[in-house]
Amino acid sequence: MLSQIRQRVNLFWVWIAALLAVIAVGAYAVFLIMYKGLVVTNLTDGAPWGLWIILDLSCIGVAAGAFSLSALTYLLGQEQYQPLARVAVFVGILGYSGALMALVLDIGRPDRFWHGWVHWNIHSMLWEVTLCITLYFLVLTLEVFPMVVEMPIFDRFPWLQDLGHRIHRFAPVLAIIGMGLSLLHQSSLGGTYGVVVGRAALFRPTMPLLFIVSAVAGGIAFSVHVTLIVQWITGRLLVPARVLLQAGQLSGAVLLVYLYMRFWDTTAGNYGYVPGRTEAFTTLSAGPFALTFWTWEIFLGGLVAAILLIRARFTGSIALLLTGSGLTVAGLVFNRYHTTLLAFTEPLSVNPPVTDPLITDYTPAWTEWASAFMVIAILVMLFSLGMRYLPAFKGIQVDRPLEERVPRLAQGR
Amino acid sequence: MSEHTRKLDRREFIKLAGALGISVAAGAWVWNEFWAHDDPLGEASAHGGSGPYWAMVIDLGTCIGCERCAFACQATNDTTTGHLWNIVLRDEVTFGKPVFLPRPCMHCEHAPCVEVCPVNATYHREDGIVVMDYQRCIGCRYCMVACPYGARVFNWEERTDENPMVPTWGTIENPRRPRGVAEKCTFCSHRIDAGLERGLRPGYDRSATPACCVICPTEARVFGDLRDPNSPASRKMAGRQAVVLRPELGTKPRVYYLLPT
Repeated sequence: MLSQIRQRVNLFWVWIAALLAVIAVGAYAVFLIMYKGLVVTNLTDGAPWGLWIILDLSCIGVAAGAFSLSALTYLLGQEQYQPLARVAVFVGILGYSGALMALVLDIGRPDRFWHGWVHWNIHSMLWEVTLCITLYFLVLTLEVFPMVVEMPIFDRFPWLQDLGHRIHRFAPVLAIIGMGLSLLHQSSLGGTYGVVVGRAALFRPTMPLLFIVSAVAGGIAFSVHVTLIVQWITGRLLVPARVLLQAGQLSGAVLLVYLYMRFWDTTAGNYGYVPGRTEAFTTLSAGPFALTFWTWEIFLGGLVAAILLIRARFTGSIALLLTGSGLTVAGLVFNRYHTTLLAFTEPLSVNPPVTDPLITDYTPAWTEWASAFMVIAILVMLFSLGMRYLPAFKGIQVDRPLEERVPRLAQGR
Repeated sequence: MSEHTRKLDRREFIKLAGALGISVAAGAWVWNEFWAHDDPLGEASAHGGSGPYWAMVIDLGTCIGCERCAFACQATNDTTTGHLWNIVLRDEVTFGKPVFLPRPCMHCEHAPCVEVCPVNATYHREDGIVVMDYQRCIGCRYCMVACPYGARVFNWEERTDENPMVPTWGTIENPRRPRGVAEKCTFCSHRIDAGLERGLRPGYDRSATPACCVICPTEARVFGDLRDPNSPASRKMAGRQAVVLRPELGTKPRVYYLLPT
């Protein structure tokens, strides 16, 4: 009886059910946040940005594969990347959806989310980011639209599919617009921190550059990483191994450039004493963040990741590629984490100095964790459904899917 | 005129000229609206234009740290405990003796909060005071990240608390702000406006002067127009060494501190 059930249970739907459970818990947290206000979080006047902003920045960072690979495919004529670019564009629209969800959770007045469009302040980095992100979301929608209308259920609406084909013919134009918008807002997200004159840890002209370069490395790596996982689970071949290895090597090379920039940014910025910045760097490199900074951001997520990604190309090792790309993404997320939280651990010194430091300690509340995991679960669920049902990701079946492989293993026991 | 150059007929020419005219007009409008201002962030008005230059002068030598300014502010502006607009910091090291440093909003001329607000919800009034439009604020809290003085607080929840400072330290003059918006010290702009309407002089007349300055028992904290040499603020500053907080940032605060002698 039990083995019969086990045989009939489809692992895919077990997976979806598990994600729905995470979403349900998160939905309760979101209800509390909307009903009671942000008081149910651990955000304070001293640390007004926290987990959601880290999630937002990470989502946008890993979504950068969409514009990078589209530009490679359609603008630089590297057509071999096209199947990977399709995955990246799908990851991209989900990443931006996640970022928008995180922002709606984060702002105190979600009912006024549209104000950025009506009341312009062209001097605000965040206004620029708001406009670029929403515009780029439209571009991604146009890029994904042809993939969605390819589904058999849309066969009844030939005009929709026709529209899809027409839009797809503009792929190079969309790639140009997408690249322009991405180059603007990926950098100005760094600029959002970089212009904050009152916080020496952030006030660096390098911030926009560091953000865009790390996003390109992390975005390509993330697309490679999820493609490998999907291929392993479904037994389908979406992107040829050669292309994945090539993309991985590219990501590794960009990561090295990033590490070089980060090295000079950090050393030159702290060679002499700079009030506030030196203290912040000490907090980062020898204080509470030291372990995650050195281990994850610099060593594993930086140096090791770059070496593995480049080495994978030469040895043809998928295991190295999987590890290297995963570590690159981890390094990106930890970078956004350190950047966001470092700002608020630095005391806002006033002159003459005060002995009551305005330092704030921040650890996310359960509501923040639950709602953040809800956003991630929604994205993973949509991604799983997309990979299962979108014809664009049909690939070539080379092995039985995991859901057939695993019950067979269970039965054999 | 040769055949070669006569490619446009009249209709086409009119169309082209019209299109060109419209694009130039549209371009000019966009330019004017968003870029051509000499003073896009209203920093001339931040300077107070030619009108009064409102400023607060705080004497660190006479402040006794009684915190009555904080109490009066909480009563007048109906702020929440723990999220005050005006706080009193304590410095024991700089001058070799305990010195108290009251910290309201600095009403900077180059205010980082005004620069970063994505929706222009915080802005300079005509007279240079930095205020909030609570109906426009989206609650992104970028201004709180940007403020170099930690002068901004957030409405984390719908207010139901009772104001512990009322009626002992004053009466509520400023309506409570809605949930989910940032807020800050206004230099009691409601008192300045109401006072000027009645012909009073802010700084001189108590009901037209910020509540924190009115209540100060040692007159360590005064308000007034720095362009008026007789205003309490100008008289207080005369002959004393005045500093502003974090001058290296170039924010040009309107709150001056007099060093203890």
